[in-house]
Amino acid sequence: MARCNDNDIVWTYRNKKKMKKLLLSLPLIIIILISSFLLIYLLQKKDPNKPPSALLNENLPEINLVNLFNEEEILSNYNLKEKTILINFFASWCAPCKVEHPLFFDIKKKHPNLYLIGIDHKDIKEDALKYLNEEGNPYDYVGVDKKGSVGLDFGVFGLPETFLVNSSGKIIYKYLGPLTKKVFKNEIKPLLK
Amino acid sequence: MISLIGFGGLIFSLLCSIILIFIFFIQNKKYSETIFYYALYGSVISIIISFLALMFSYVSSDFSNYNVFQNSHSSKPLLYKITGTWGNHEGSMLLWLLIMTFYNLFFSFNKKLDDDLKKLTIFFQSSLYTCFVLFVLFTSNPFLSTSIEIKEGLGLNPILQDPALAIHPPMLYTGYVGFSLVLSLALAGLILNKIDIKWIKTTKNWTLFCWSMLTGGISLGSYWAYYELGWGGWWFWDPVENVSLMPWIAGLALVHTLMITQKEQLLKRWIVFLSILCFSLSVFGTFLVRSGILTSVHSFAADSSRGIFILILFLVITGFSFIIFIFKSTDSNKKLNLLFINKSSALIVNNIVMLVACITILLGTIYPIIIEVITNKRISVGAPYFNMTVLPILLPGFLLMSVAPALSWQSNRLPKFKNYLILFILMSILSSLITYFTHFNVWGFIGITLGLIVIGASTLSIFHNYAKYNFKQFFLRNNAFIAHIGVGIAILGVTCSSVFQTEHRRSLNIGESINIGKYSLRLEDTKILEKNNYQELLAYFSLYENDEILSKIKPSKRYYHVSKMITTEAGIYHHWLQDFYIVLGNQKDNKWDIKIYQNPLINFIWLGVMIMILSGLIGIRKK
Amino acid sequence: MKLNLYLNKLPLILPILILCLSSALFTKKASADIEGDLKKISLKLRCMTCQNQTIYDSDSDFSKDIKNIIKEKLTNNEEEKEIIDFLIQRYGEYIIFEPQMNVKNIFLWYFPFIILALSLVFLIFRIKKN
Repeated sequence: MARCNDNDIVWTYRNKKKMKKLLLSLPLIIIILISSFLLIYLLQKKDPNKPPSALLNENLPEINLVNLFNEEEILSNYNLKEKTILINFFASWCAPCKVEHPLFFDIKKKHPNLYLIGIDHKDIKEDALKYLNEEGNPYDYVGVDKKGSVGLDFGVFGLPETFLVNSSGKIIYKYLGPLTKKVFKNEIKPLLK
Repeated sequence: MISLIGFGGLIFSLLCSIILIFIFFIQNKKYSETIFYYALYGSVISIIISFLALMFSYVSSDFSNYNVFQNSHSSKPLLYKITGTWGNHEGSMLLWLLIMTFYNLFFSFNKKLDDDLKKLTIFFQSSLYTCFVLFVLFTSNPFLSTSIEIKEGLGLNPILQDPALAIHPPMLYTGYVGFSLVLSLALAGLILNKIDIKWIKTTKNWTLFCWSMLTGGISLGSYWAYYELGWGGWWFWDPVENVSLMPWIAGLALVHTLMITQKEQLLKRWIVFLSILCFSLSVFGTFLVRSGILTSVHSFAADSSRGIFILILFLVITGFSFIIFIFKSTDSNKKLNLLFINKSSALIVNNIVMLVACITILLGTIYPIIIEVITNKRISVGAPYFNMTVLPILLPGFLLMSVAPALSWQSNRLPKFKNYLILFILMSILSSLITYFTHFNVWGFIGITLGLIVIGASTLSIFHNYAKYNFKQFFLRNNAFIAHIGVGIAILGVTCSSVFQTEHRRSLNIGESINIGKYSLRLEDTKILEKNNYQELLAYFSLYENDEILSKIKPSKRYYHVSKMITTEAGIYHHWLQDFYIVLGNQKDNKWDIKIYQNPLINFIWLGVMIMILSGLIGIRKK
Repeated sequence: MKLNLYLNKLPLILPILILCLSSALFTKKASADIEGDLKKISLKLRCMTCQNQTIYDSDSDFSKDIKNIIKEKLTNNEEEKEIIDFLIQRYGEYIIFEPQMNVKNIFLWYFPFIILALSLVFLIFRIKKN
């Protein structure tokens, strides 16, 4: 049987003390950890009312959009291959949509290769036609989403919402609310490579 | 003008606190002590003046004060002008300061503690106070002026114009702001190495008071939510609710540990840890609520600069406290005598259960933030998560609670435990019968069994404890049992009102009835009334039991002119066995859509909580 | 004595036994009740346009739309899990108040029970040592 000498006793005592000090420091360590996460979150200026999209880096959902101006024409994913697309959900009854509307003319002018799709969400056809007549039509294609099923597939819950799709068919950006020049310049433009 | 007085009061209060902190370090002069206490009184008086100034601005509808302009309106009833003082972020922070300083003042009247411990506690409390005054001055000043001349205010959210919600903040703050004093006591005790029997007794009394007030504040909020928010729910695991619950749970663990180890002076390190934890959770909670970092039904207007300030405040206060804890806390000389099951081990189980529950709530509340920082995906952690984790975790605690106060320190034998055994079996059978004959549900069975066992065992313990003593002594000696009976009653209320709630939807014409078992409800009439600042559409119902009229119930809808909001007020008939709860929906053709809820035993919740609060306050008197 | 030790634990174990027995006798068969299922599912979902309310509680347009979608799917005999997955695919996990069981949420679900178990085990260990 091994003899327990003084060195062993001192060693286990020191270990025990270390464990105790570690245990005592635990609350402090946890607090610092949690606070760092919170600080990072605060500094990122995330908006609690604007959750990141579930469709980020996912493929464009299957769409079959009837043309607002021509009932016979349908736009589907097949027509959109290899295109960089900006999809904007709007409606004639949506006030903030009216505010962001002029920006799209600007965007179309500066980025002619960007395919602009407007989706008229939960709207009446006549009202939409009147709206685009009065405010102008910057879109390359305006699709009808009368019942809101297209919006549902995109996870739309408030208008306006804008999505950027890259040439591989993946949704790489979503913006909630009326688009501004600043947001386009700082967040969307860099992605348009 | 009045705002100037208010602002002056705030600044003067800050100055006094700083003087107090300075003079603390100049101990040896003759006048040090006088200046010390006069600085304290000065800061109290000036913050009272400041608070009254703000209240006066509200009452007189002085819209030159920006805060009053944003949150009030001249047509508001007087009561809500007064209570509107703290119905907004800045005003509520002023209330926070007021309460913090009152705790400092009332503590200064203590005559039992050693002088150096007392002064160091006041020193720490004033330091904490200074931090928060700076927070108010830099980010939440209630005395800013509107730059142009304004004739009318923006009005107050009509949901806040309610008596229960008016007293809810003061009571709530008296609770969790009060934990600041417990923290100050802990820090002072640690540094002077005076965690002795006098310290424990003083801390016990203050903690009991804070905890009881916090219980009251939280239940007022819940009771308000019950009659105001639409379907008879009273707890939603909303982040703001969770944030008030965490210090409550930590406070409960602390209260138990303090009361039980009072004479033995055990677990000193743990007690100090919990004392620091309570206020840390309060400050952390304040951060979560006021930084705008979480979505909640009742968050204040958010501002990220406020968030960063409070977060830094939290780090400084908590970091400092825990560093002192690491270096200065000492273990008690006595070791716990742990047996299966005696009072010591029951106390440990209580602490474990409470802490794990608290950690779970914390984890659930901040997890979405952590995940979003790491993965940029947002998740929600809501009621389903908390119900599936916190409730099962609390179960062993509830079970043990039934016999814990009757356990002894020395042996693991429960005196007269055969009686308890018989009681447990009887209650389980009773509970199975009840659930069999009404509507079987696993949680219903567990809840009713637990509730009955806790009430039964505690009552049994009181009988075992019987000796000849007078009324006052009865309550003091049996305080723990009575408190647990309160919890048992609340458990029954919580279980039955959630598990056995029934909902009925109907469209009724005037004159039509709906039959629910032996009850029937008839829609008699509808009327529109003009009140002070709203228009009310009332629906008059008559509730009959077996064709005899029980009561009239009046659900309504209110249209507030200024804010143009419509609120729905439930019509409730309160009864010990169940509440009838009617919500008025929309009118289609001539029919009214109504929802009727029967909430069995819901009033047991409020009764149980009141017993808990009374018991907490009585515990202060216990030697 | 050993018998006393076990008898001491009985008050705690007996109700649990009775519970297990009763649940065997009383298990209710789930009834196909669309309104009930609608309530059950919409209580778990978040109204995306409200401040922390459930779809069940909210009267917003968004909530009404979602309730209709759920109702439609329930009438088509879709399972609760299918419906919820459908919504999560579009709105993200943010829409459901019950954190889904996947890699990133394992910690959330298991941590509380693990620390509870560990602390109780540690306590029993200390009791035995005594």
